[in-house]
Amino acid sequence: MNTTIWLVRREFWENRAIWMIPAVIGALMILIALFGRIDLMSIPSQVPSRTLGGGLLLAVAATFFVVLSVYSSWYLVDCLYADRKDRSVLFWKSLPISDTITVISKLLTALVVIPLVYFAAADITTVMMAFVVSVRASASLGGALWHVDLWLQLQVLWLYMIVTTAIWYLPVAAYLLVVSAWARRAVMLWSILPPFALLLAEHWFLGTHVLGDQIAKRLFGFSRIAFHADPGGASWAAAGADEAMRMPSGIWGFLNAYGFFSSPATWIGAALGAVLIAAAIQLRMRRTEI
Amino acid sequence: MTSLIEARDLTKRYGAHVALDRANFSVEAGRIVGLIGPNGAGKTTALRAILGLTAYEGRLKVLEREPFRERALLMHDACFIADVAVLPAWLRVDHAVDFVAGVHPRFRRDRALALLAKTDIGGSRRLRELSKGMKTQVHLALTMAIDAKLLVLDEPTLGLDILARRAFYDALVNDYMDETRTILITTHQVEEVENLLTDVLFIDRGRIVLDSSLDDIASRYAAVAVAADKLEAARAEKPFHERRMLGKVVLYYERPDLDRLAALGEVHSLSVADLFVAKLSGGAE
Repeated sequence: MNTTIWLVRREFWENRAIWMIPAVIGALMILIALFGRIDLMSIPSQVPSRTLGGGLLLAVAATFFVVLSVYSSWYLVDCLYADRKDRSVLFWKSLPISDTITVISKLLTALVVIPLVYFAAADITTVMMAFVVSVRASASLGGALWHVDLWLQLQVLWLYMIVTTAIWYLPVAAYLLVVSAWARRAVMLWSILPPFALLLAEHWFLGTHVLGDQIAKRLFGFSRIAFHADPGGASWAAAGADEAMRMPSGIWGFLNAYGFFSSPATWIGAALGAVLIAAAIQLRMRRTEI
Repeated sequence: MTSLIEARDLTKRYGAHVALDRANFSVEAGRIVGLIGPNGAGKTTALRAILGLTAYEGRLKVLEREPFRERALLMHDACFIADVAVLPAWLRVDHAVDFVAGVHPRFRRDRALALLAKTDIGGSRRLRELSKGMKTQVHLALTMAIDAKLLVLDEPTLGLDILARRAFYDALVNDYMDETRTILITTHQVEEVENLLTDVLFIDRGRIVLDSSLDDIASRYAAVAVAADKLEAARAEKPFHERRMLGKVVLYYERPDLDRLAALGEVHSLSVADLFVAKLSGGAE
């Protein structure tokens, strides 16, 4: 346990981008809130303040989450390759740290630690933005952006997202680690090429798209399985007079934890992830240098 | 008491290439052993196997452990410097000390800090800002602060200037070595390590061709430089190697009759470098 904590700390020393990227995004958003034009006239007066507040929370969270997914993927494909490339793997392997713990610590960093950093950054950014905007437009908005219940719901959404994406994307993350432990060069290319080649081979020789469908489901099917598309009326609010235009008023109602955890796809993927992690550990044991 | 390192039929193949070919050797505790061989002879492969960095065939025990399967456990009692230039460039010197102190139960932080204090390397500097000699000092301070039974060094001074090389070996002998430690070192700068070794292992084409202590070498081998008129008589004593030098011929013998050699010319003992060249180049040079 102690070793794992040191290994995670080490990741922060090596990859300063883990906290620098969210810090820069947060700073930019706060700058926009400070100096951007707030045009309240363009927002229909009928839009309830809960919708405005929720919209701001979700917009900030979504931005952080998109950057997080890109960065984590890049981190995973680079982490085991980088210390083989600069040969520092020979230093790390001179310490009493097993390759299993090393690989697990990288996975933990990518799927839990980095998301928690982004979560914290998103929270700080939202609070500061809401504060700045309410002060600047206090005459018209008042306390409209402050909805503690929405804010709490967003915390739950973040934690739910971190847990479910960690499980759902485990096979993808583990595959990137395999590439990172194996490739001698061009890790980015190697992370894309094999699945793409298999996909084309299946198409040409068998004329089917089973593999392609499975990959697409894994990459883009997450929200369909982890969220309710239509959680029922309680989670929706009418946006003003027009009843047909509905906006979400709550977040909890959308979370489909039961659906996610009871889906076979979730656990088949996790099992495949475990196999790929074992493969990454074996490769890490055998491939010391480029 | 069993050996610290025990290799039986140690073999490593890379495809069709056999890097280690049923090599047999052992290393006893308290020795400083030089693993010496030409480039591509299998030195580095042998060390990689001993350190658990590569899979192998045959039987290999290091400190009673199987290196490949139990590398992390082995590294509690063994440490190595595979090359001086492998500390990551982004690492800060003080972080490096913190990290090793955090993960290594036998690391003595006070000793590492004392060794670093002798240099003028500031703790907050990153490795990338340091010269190669300074990186070596940092790596050495980290390694020598570990209470290990076995220290393995692979070409430790490659790319260092003469001052840094000398400082490296002085620190090794004066600050590190005592009777509880064992050092295995590979180098092709034989002359440089000759004075500190107690044993040598010569390796050639994946096989151990000589496994001997330096005392043994001194008592077992001799060379004699003879003029041309005594060459035939000298050859009759069955030398295993000849070398022409300044109009004379130097002949190398194993277990010679020293009195009879003395009659032929000036007898002298063999340096490790001489013996290495003689053993690996076969008959005449």
